[in-house]
Amino acid sequence: MAIPLVPKILRSHLLELASKDERIDGRGRWEGRQTKLEVDILPRAEGSAKVTMGDTIVYAGVKFQLMTPYSDRPNEGGLMCSAEVRPVAGRNWEPGPPSAESIELGRVVDRGIRESGCIDVKSLCIIPGEKAWQVILDLFAISDDGNLFDAFALAAIAALKNAKVPCERFEVGKDHLLDVSSMPIMCSYHKVGNRFVYDASKKEELGGDERIHITLGEANHVHSLQKGLKGIFSADEFVEIMEKAKDTSKELRKLVNSVVGE
Amino acid sequence: MGGYGDIKMIDENGLRMDGRSATEVRPITIETGVVPVADGSCRMTWGTNDVIVAVYGPMEAHPRKIQRQDRAVLDVRYNMAPFSTTDRIRPGFNRRSREISKVTADALASVVLLEMYPRSKIRVEIEVICAEAGTRCVGLTAASVALADAGIPMTDMVVSVASGKINDVVVCDLNKEEDNYGEADLPMGVLPNTGEIVFLQMDGDLSPEQFQTAWDYNVNAAMEVHKIMVEALKNGGAK
Repeated sequence: MAIPLVPKILRSHLLELASKDERIDGRGRWEGRQTKLEVDILPRAEGSAKVTMGDTIVYAGVKFQLMTPYSDRPNEGGLMCSAEVRPVAGRNWEPGPPSAESIELGRVVDRGIRESGCIDVKSLCIIPGEKAWQVILDLFAISDDGNLFDAFALAAIAALKNAKVPCERFEVGKDHLLDVSSMPIMCSYHKVGNRFVYDASKKEELGGDERIHITLGEANHVHSLQKGLKGIFSADEFVEIMEKAKDTSKELRKLVNSVVGE
Repeated sequence: MGGYGDIKMIDENGLRMDGRSATEVRPITIETGVVPVADGSCRMTWGTNDVIVAVYGPMEAHPRKIQRQDRAVLDVRYNMAPFSTTDRIRPGFNRRSREISKVTADALASVVLLEMYPRSKIRVEIEVICAEAGTRCVGLTAASVALADAGIPMTDMVVSVASGKINDVVVCDLNKEEDNYGEADLPMGVLPNTGEIVFLQMDGDLSPEQFQTAWDYNVNAAMEVHKIMVEALKNGGAK
């Protein structure tokens, strides 16, 4: 993504708002935008979800392919997660090979899902050493108004939760739901006006400093962390957002369960 | 064209596998303003096709060497999402999407008043989220609506429809099976105000009579689709 010139006036405006404990769109410091989750909306994908967070809109689609297991792991299938932010999503996103930003997006979401162990790669094996499923999770942004990370992570887990393994099409048994044993949830915090806020909008991202992404599993186990962009934070600040992430992830988990079913 | 003529796709009453008559198009919905950060946008569903188009601009054209002194450049990209088809598509440009991007840009450049915006660029991003058959037609039609939603001046909107041949019978708006096993495909871009053509492709095998029938089906269907486009723009309203 081409980073546009940020007027100093935006930064100073955000700083001034922060001193009054306000945000540019009137939200509270730990308040997220209105979030809508829809699942099973793409007839050609085996699992799908659409997340709308304010003006940020993303899709996630799950596809399955047959693969030969790697020789050092003959009993395991594969999981692949990739994010694409194409120029459709905003005027600063450019065409061409995947940018560093969209690769980071895909990898951070991938780590949260992989490390939480919610997909048992052993269960993806069909014939050891010969045939296994490769689960491919594609994340696709339609409109970027900030915090693509959380939107992608939410769409990702919801799409996996309603994914159906297409055994009949590949003639390897009966179709069944993909086994997803837990629910990793990502919460992202952005330093805006010298303090962290939850779910930054595009303006806050442009006029802010570093960001931190935390993926929590069930029972608040930490599965992935990422600090991005230039900036310095203290241990106390981190403790504070970690506590907030525990509450927020609980709420988001409820949302996914209410849409996908437990 | 697969050309597997032995697959029966029309019944005794002349109805197709999905119950449509020869001239009937699949159900269409159009919604504008679906990409809030864009200057104009449109989501069009046509059968199970689902296409999202965002328009950005007119904006500064850079690098400078792409600028034209007397008009805007139209930068059109057609792309299929990896999960839009039964078999996953590897992300990135391919020969097919590049060709469709080009013919779509050529069609739109014939109606957009580019000379009103010298040295600038208008970006049209066509994203196929779910594909059935005829995605290039849906993309071109939806792009016209998105350009109108962005308030970009045009002489007319392009309406694109494809007719083809199945079991030696000409039918309008092929669905997935008909496209896979049909014997011909004739996508066209029609200007509803004048009946002129700005986009034309064809592959397969049509007799002169069949060709004329397919042509007429397309022009007639385009007039029907145009009404839905106008209605959607009235309801959504150009920004």
